[in-house]
Amino acid sequence: MQTENEQAKKPELRLSRVFDAPRSLVWEAWSKAEYVQRWFTPAPLTTPRCEVDLRTGGVFYLVMKMPDGVELPMDARFVEVVPQERIVFAATIHGGVHVHTTVAFADEGAGKTRLDVHQVYSHETAATRGAPQGWKSTLDQLAEVVRSIR
Amino acid sequence: MAASNHLSDTFSALADPTRRAILARLARGEATVTELAKPFAISQPAISKHLKVLERAGLISRGRDAQTRPCRFEVRRFKEATEWMNRYRTHWEASFDRLETLLTEMKEEKSRANRK
Repeated sequence: MQTENEQAKKPELRLSRVFDAPRSLVWEAWSKAEYVQRWFTPAPLTTPRCEVDLRTGGVFYLVMKMPDGVELPMDARFVEVVPQERIVFAATIHGGVHVHTTVAFADEGAGKTRLDVHQVYSHETAATRGAPQGWKSTLDQLAEVVRSIR
Repeated sequence: MAASNHLSDTFSALADPTRRAILARLARGEATVTELAKPFAISQPAISKHLKVLERAGLISRGRDAQTRPCRFEVRRFKEATEWMNRYRTHWEASFDRLETLLTEMKEEKSRANRK
């Protein structure tokens, strides 16, 4: 059994990038579907459909299309939205993978903005269905093992 | 779907810090339950329980020797999971590359609009 304490300590995927643009502009790139459509899906995937209602409880829906025509929908909700500060969204993607993402906005000075992405991927298995402690598994837990092996 | 079920088991198995420590130890070579229990402040039966989870997830295999049943790290299933993980990291990096490009375009659009 997982304890609450272990859950609190579980390592998760963290990723940062500094953009040469003010916070207001970076926020704008997240806030409109026409912009999100242009960057959120990495090439060669395209985004034929995109819906962004950037406020707490709002819909964040997009369809990613693979080069072979297969469409992968991402059906998410904004769990928390604090303008120019923080975006939290929860999504279910292909294969029943649950993704909880927090994006924090910070000034880096000289008109630059840093985005810190903190992401948890989890799976539900038949054995753990219904039990919150079953919503386990993160990318960095793997990374931790990889590091210890090297 | 089979692959994603494998991943579910793998991720669940790896969610526990003791099991990750056991794997890290086995990555250096085979070990028996007794050997594995030594560095941990938990009983052999508790270790055996963790080993069962790891075995079910395909992350380890057990030897045939009835007495010792040495444990071996099975790298194949583990690699599947790390490859999956790396895909998602790469995904974010590639998206942020595109965001950089978009922000440059947005800045140019705005400065053009301001000049008008």
